[in-house]
Amino acid sequence: MLNFNTPIIDTKEYSEIKISEIEPILKINLRGKSRDFVTKIGKELSIITPVDPNTSSSNEKFNLLWLSPDEWFLYSNDKIDIKDANVLENKLFNEISKVKLGSVTNVSDHWIMINLRGAKIFELLSAGCPFNFNNFKNSKGAVTQTLINHIDVIIHNKNVNDLNLFVRRSFSAHLWSWMNDSARFI
Amino acid sequence: MFLINCPYCGERDQSEFSAGGEAHIIRPKQPTELSDDQWAEYLFMRKNIKGVQFERWNHAHGCRKWFNMVRDTSNDKIHAVYKMGEKPPIK
Repeated sequence: MLNFNTPIIDTKEYSEIKISEIEPILKINLRGKSRDFVTKIGKELSIITPVDPNTSSSNEKFNLLWLSPDEWFLYSNDKIDIKDANVLENKLFNEISKVKLGSVTNVSDHWIMINLRGAKIFELLSAGCPFNFNNFKNSKGAVTQTLINHIDVIIHNKNVNDLNLFVRRSFSAHLWSWMNDSARFI
Repeated sequence: MFLINCPYCGERDQSEFSAGGEAHIIRPKQPTELSDDQWAEYLFMRKNIKGVQFERWNHAHGCRKWFNMVRDTSNDKIHAVYKMGEKPPIK
């Protein structure tokens, strides 16, 4: 996280839709297969590692999202200081990567977090997404990886009509433009 | 367009997946002992039949896991989906 620059830095409001980029947020990708790895993450972060598909767990500091049977995505609840991010990354690296339990990758610069709030956010996403949000929108903590306007995203349903969307940095400006353009017609 | 039941994530739209060709092709144990024709047969030749076919698929825009599928190529009806390493549930 050297010279952290965010490509958007903006908040837009439409009828019952608020879209805002929230950065810098700590994001760490965790990969491992063993039971020891799953236990270690839980112990180090004081969080239950979600093992059920499309679920997440949270505490007052972090959210841990299930991405696949051997992959998880950790992100902080609040904006972070770069020094704090490095401390946690090093701690996890020493406890997990160094002892070959799994891999720890800091992806804070790789993903951009966009927060969407409002009663019509799922109508907005459905305008360009093949995923069926009917059950998802009523499941607090649900996670999905899908496509929006052909762009890969991770969506975390934080609360009722309040979700965090992660998009790769290089696609973020394009997705941001598409969301703002589409929101005007919903 | 059709729905695929990913063995890890559940039912998703086909646009999230990418097809990986015919499944259960066994790599020859001694490739150096094969003729060029036999090696080409293993490497390139695929059945691509009209009817029920065993295929590999990847949930490319989801969990990114590979799995196997039994699909009727004439009407896209999916007969079975199973994880890599598992035996086909139907013959």
